[in-house]
Amino acid sequence: MADSLAPACTPLKQEYDSCFNQWFEGYLEPTLANATETSRKAHYARKAEEFEAKCGKVYKEYQACLQGAVKERGSAAITAQGKEIESEFYEGNSTRCIHSALFRVPF
Amino acid sequence: MKFFATTYHYDDPWSIVTLAFFLRYPNPYASHVLSCDVVSRSVSPSGTLLTTRLILKRGAMPRWFPKGIVTRAESWVVEETEVDPIGRVVSCKTRNLDHVKIMQVEESVVFKSLPDGRTLQHTEARVRSAFGWGLTKRIEAHGLSKFKANMQRSREGVSLVLQLLRQSRLQPLGLGPESTLSLPAPPPSSPVGPSDSGTPTPDCRTQNTWSSRLKSWLRRA
Repeated sequence: MADSLAPACTPLKQEYDSCFNQWFEGYLEPTLANATETSRKAHYARKAEEFEAKCGKVYKEYQACLQGAVKERGSAAITAQGKEIESEFYEGNSTRCIHSALFRVPF
Repeated sequence: MKFFATTYHYDDPWSIVTLAFFLRYPNPYASHVLSCDVVSRSVSPSGTLLTTRLILKRGAMPRWFPKGIVTRAESWVVEETEVDPIGRVVSCKTRNLDHVKIMQVEESVVFKSLPDGRTLQHTEARVRSAFGWGLTKRIEAHGLSKFKANMQRSREGVSLVLQLLRQSRLQPLGLGPESTLSLPAPPPSSPVGPSDSGTPTPDCRTQNTWSSRLKSWLRRA
């Protein structure tokens, strides 16, 4: 349970991780070897519902926290990285690396 | 482009290896992992679990790399995992999101349950550089050798978490003092670490943090 990229979100992240881990152990348990395709699907559909019921609320809170933080941090990272690359290539002869090497925000 | 593939066997069953793989951060072998966040997670209609995590890793440029191009020696990594509990397979693909022109590393790991109860890990890596300036081959070779060294450490990290999980299952949780879960000695610092400027040695503080977090979760379960 590592830290979140935003320290403010770490407590929510850890609460979510604990919730997920407990659910995940049960999810990994094998279903009966002779179970039919239909009953297996129903089993995992129930597992998905159970996960949503148990961890859905904290997951939403965690994601909301993260998205706020990413917006701030992402734009800061773009600026920092942009400056780095500019300073290297600004001297005029090469712009070829600028666009592809720019930090891409994952959202 | 450089390609590398290897396989490894864990003696433990697939479900516990999978759990350890998901729980592997933080551990004393992964002090370069600065943060790890789940950005999407869902159960697919076929019952598989899809997870996307965003990980921030600290790195270092090799000494021979031109100065000034990368001053921010951190890299965002995206990890996409599919867990298939019916077929007993985990597939995980990882790639870096930034510095991709300098070097793009794509890793693919598969954990498969074997009929004898063990777990097979198959790892593939593709290292590609489009840097030019006569350094492309050297960057790719460097990236690959780092990958190999780090893979060993990553495996040791998973093994350490596995050991804790095993111990926690052998004794009833919530009973007994904290000290009943004994930890292995801190790993020695590796000669080839995640950075050329010296591997951060896992210290007691780091170990206490990660293990107490893991233990507190194990106790709650």
